[in-house]
Amino acid sequence: MLKLALRNLLDKKIRFALTTLSVVTGVTFVVGTFALTDSLRSTFGDLAQDIAGETDLTVRAAQEIGNEADRPTMPDSLLDEVAAIDGVVEASGTVQARNVVIVDGDGEAIRPQGPPALGMNFSSRVFFLIEGRAPVDQEFVVDATTAANNDLQVGETYDINGPVRSQPFELVGIFNFGSPDTNTSLGQTMSVFDTRTAQQFLGFGDRLAEIRVLVNADVAEVRAAIGAAVGADYEVITQEIAAEEQTEQFQNVLNIFTSILLVFAFIAVFVSAFIINNTFQIVVTQRVREIGLWRAIGVTPKQVSRSIVVESAIVGLLSTAIGIAVGMLVSLVMRAAIRASGFGLPSGPLVLRPRTVVLAVVIGLGVTMIASIVPAMRARRITPIAALSQDHRIERSGWRRRVAVGGAVTAAGVVCLALGMAGVGSTAAVLALTGIGALVTFVGLNVASPAIARPVVRALGRPVQALFGMPGRLARENAARNPRRTASTAGALMIGVTLMATTSVVGASVSSTIADVLSDAVRADYFVRSEASPFDPATGFPAQLLNDLENRDEIESVVGYRVAFGGMVVGGDSRDVVTADFDTVERHMDGDVISGSITGGDPLTGIALHVDPADDLGVAVGDTLEATFPDNQTDTLTVTAIFADAAIYGNWLIDNALWEQHFGRRDYRFGTAVAQVEDSQVAVAEVTARYPGVIGENRDEFREANQSLVNSIFAVITVLLGLSFVIALIGIANTLALSVFERTREIGLLRAVGMTRRQLRRAVRWEAAIVATFGGLMGVVVGTVLGVAGSLATPDSFITTVDVPYATLAVYIVVAGLAGLLAAVLPARRAGRMNILEAIAHE
Amino acid sequence: MSVAAPPTHAAARAVAATKIYGSGDTAVRALDAIDVTFEQGQFTAIMGPSGSGKSTLMHCMAGLDRVTEGQVLIGEVDLSTLSERDLTLLRRDNVGFVFQAFNLVPTLTAIENIMLPMDLAGSAGDTDWVDEVVSATGLADRLKHRPSELSGGQQQRVAVARALAGQPQVIFADEPTGNVDLNTGAEILGFMRNAVDEMGQTIVMVTHDAVAASYADRVVFLVDGKIVDERTDPTPERIRAHMNQLGA
Ligand SMILES: Nc1ncnc2c1ncn2[C@@H]1O[C@H](COP(=O)(O)OP(=O)(O)OP(=O)(O)O)[C@@H](O)[C@H]1O
Ligand SMILES: [Mg+2]
Repeated sequence: MLKLALRNLLDKKIRFALTTLSVVTGVTFVVGTFALTDSLRSTFGDLAQDIAGETDLTVRAAQEIGNEADRPTMPDSLLDEVAAIDGVVEASGTVQARNVVIVDGDGEAIRPQGPPALGMNFSSRVFFLIEGRAPVDQEFVVDATTAANNDLQVGETYDINGPVRSQPFELVGIFNFGSPDTNTSLGQTMSVFDTRTAQQFLGFGDRLAEIRVLVNADVAEVRAAIGAAVGADYEVITQEIAAEEQTEQFQNVLNIFTSILLVFAFIAVFVSAFIINNTFQIVVTQRVREIGLWRAIGVTPKQVSRSIVVESAIVGLLSTAIGIAVGMLVSLVMRAAIRASGFGLPSGPLVLRPRTVVLAVVIGLGVTMIASIVPAMRARRITPIAALSQDHRIERSGWRRRVAVGGAVTAAGVVCLALGMAGVGSTAAVLALTGIGALVTFVGLNVASPAIARPVVRALGRPVQALFGMPGRLARENAARNPRRTASTAGALMIGVTLMATTSVVGASVSSTIADVLSDAVRADYFVRSEASPFDPATGFPAQLLNDLENRDEIESVVGYRVAFGGMVVGGDSRDVVTADFDTVERHMDGDVISGSITGGDPLTGIALHVDPADDLGVAVGDTLEATFPDNQTDTLTVTAIFADAAIYGNWLIDNALWEQHFGRRDYRFGTAVAQVEDSQVAVAEVTARYPGVIGENRDEFREANQSLVNSIFAVITVLLGLSFVIALIGIANTLALSVFERTREIGLLRAVGMTRRQLRRAVRWEAAIVATFGGLMGVVVGTVLGVAGSLATPDSFITTVDVPYATLAVYIVVAGLAGLLAAVLPARRAGRMNILEAIAHE
Repeated sequence: MSVAAPPTHAAARAVAATKIYGSGDTAVRALDAIDVTFEQGQFTAIMGPSGSGKSTLMHCMAGLDRVTEGQVLIGEVDLSTLSERDLTLLRRDNVGFVFQAFNLVPTLTAIENIMLPMDLAGSAGDTDWVDEVVSATGLADRLKHRPSELSGGQQQRVAVARALAGQPQVIFADEPTGNVDLNTGAEILGFMRNAVDEMGQTIVMVTHDAVAASYADRVVFLVDGKIVDERTDPTPERIRAHMNQLGA
């Protein structure tokens, strides 16, 4: 049987190549993603080892609550205590703050895209000077990548926006971070000062973030000694733990990137599975006659199906091998691209872990084998008579059953999806439910869609026929000719379009919600924010800015806001907390207070909360709550107000004064101002102009900025999802090439009776366009349903208004159709080039 | 059997047409300097042993293939001067072709198949003529059917109707009855005979069957790529005798 299978593969080289291509595509994406992320991971692991390797022990405040950025600090008197302990050779204090932004020579704020902008104090152990000298008072040094990308010159003076204020510093040196030879700052910008300057400028006063210790005795003993000396409020961590944490921190920098790649790889595999399955179905259909002939000469049904399975195993193995090789190449190229985009990335070997290979084989071989089971079973039923029959079709299964089964499976998938979106269970469960739900939904749709393929495709083909006459008619008929094939070809495209449409609906809904919230609930006239990504929890602007603004006569009042995700524990759960100024905020915002009042609440002991958690905890205005903060202090707070609109304050609101008692950070994430007089725009502009990188906007500007931000984020996601389009296009090209091959004789006939090459190519191209439009249409319909459902299920703090962007969705359908035209270019050309007489003689 | 002087009413002719397949040692001379004229309104049968070049001649004359040397003319148009595209348009507008089998596009109905060349040209054709052709097929009630719903003989009649519908200068048919039983063959041949007699069409048909050939006005015998003989007013007996004599 092996011989027969091999012969078969070699005989049909093109068919073989196309089948292989579809498997290779899927494997390539998976291997590429894993190899890239594993390589980055291992590189970061090594780097973290390097950095942590410079320190034996690290002393820092213990923290149970909130973000690393909110870790409490320690008095610098602790440094002398630690240094005095036996076995300690060297003890040095560190300070570090995020959101320390250099203003370059052109007055532009230097903002890394994604990674943080750090301010730190100098240590020759991790900062390797390659130019100039170490900083003293009013001086700073900067990492080599930031210096090179922004043309920062040693000897020049630059303004730096710190958490509290903006201040000029002279640049006296440039360093490589982490290693003497290459800068490995990973895209972060690093402004480094001497310790005293850093403490003052970064808002530490006379406190420190950490103490780094070198020892010359038994590390465990020294660790215990230090631990005993500093007490329970502090912890002493080893080099290993530090390295682990550092690695984790690096990985967080890349986590979004990694997850996007993995999600994409998953989609790629899923789409590829469709294509592989489709290809095998077609190949078996095409071979009915040939298989009939085998059966006629005495090959048993079992041997027939076994030969197909063996054939698919060969295809699967070969494609897996090719896919692994191509995937490695892709990850190399991607890594080079990341490095070229100015991301300080250390070099290292490309990592191919056994897990990646296993996964590739499971996907490449597994999907191929599974995809071949149904065709192999069908092939078993082929009778010797089939060899004589003109008609290559195999009997169709009942449409009614198809709709019933497909509908049931789809319904099951939608239920899973709904549960996932409604947020039942843990985050992992939600993701699993959503993922499985989406998968099952697609499979169900794929079972049911052949039933609707014919009528829909015929309707879609009508204008094509009207426009192009006979070639259009043939395109339409051919697209409707084999509904199952059409449906699964379109299905591959549908997946990508569905995800894009879902994203668009959710994006448009978020955007509309912003506009609604702004017009209904926001009273402030001006808005101040950092121009950095608002999704980085560390962004902010110097607190001084709001004072400057408030001092202007044109401004009546200002409010600064801060956010700490998980920054407070109440009732045993960590809560996201927002700050404002109780006494003024109600002139700026309307959080729909339903009982009590925010204004007049005690800044140090008051708290306002949303009605949902208030109901959960059973508290009313006047009741008290125990709240624990990152500095491990627990305060008893009195509920001063309960509000109903989560879009403004989230769920928990405290006063800035309380924040400043428990949190280290002093910058504001966001600010609002209420105008005193009509013409106050100039005053706002004048104040913010002194702080490059900080933006002051009026209501319209603010709304537009937010909407365009949301739009651009969703656009990026859409583009990434759109890449699955590319795979689907390969699938369309593949199916079409096989269909063209299958219709060789018919094409010869058409050419013989006077169809020109151009007409023939047009017919093939428009056939693809119709099939692709069908996929786009299904995707948009399913995606809109999912998007609307998802928007309804999303918490009110993000989406209250559901909006369907009809124009965008229409564009997707058109783009899908155009993509189909494009995918068909090669198969169409092949069809056009066929020799007429050979085509007619073709079996 | 003089074909030297070109008659003005020739529908198609070949002048010293030679077709060589392959090259060097393996070259096959499928047509060897053939001179033949098919006059308007005539039904010609071409006979000859297997491999004698009958199909090759049909293909070259119908513009499906090109001769290696010599000329093929449809009307007064020399096919060797035409581009690939013009050749295609000539097939569409001026030549009809009927193959032994698989003549119809499976996705189109019978009537759509008949109208195919005209639809490709974007012209409505001559409606009266098409009606006449359609009624002559005797398939008026099956026009909306697809080929898979028609018998082999019906399919061939639709194919002949398609060849006729555009009123081409000449129709070539390569063993049109090769795949059907005797009665059905007779139906198809009767239909073609009728097209020549009643509609003034020109048909050239390859056949192995003496009875089929007897429907023609003239029989041309081909051996090894050369025309060795021809008969007018053929009967089955005479043709059979002649074929035996040629002794293939
Ligand atoms: N594409 C080709 N390549 C090479 N040789 C060919 C090709 N087509 C035909 N021939 C050869 O040319 C000669 C004439 O073939 P042709 O098909 O014209 O014969 P025929 O008279 O139609 O035979 P039959 O009665 O069997 O149909 C044969 O020797 C054949 O082998
Ligand atoms: Mg022949």
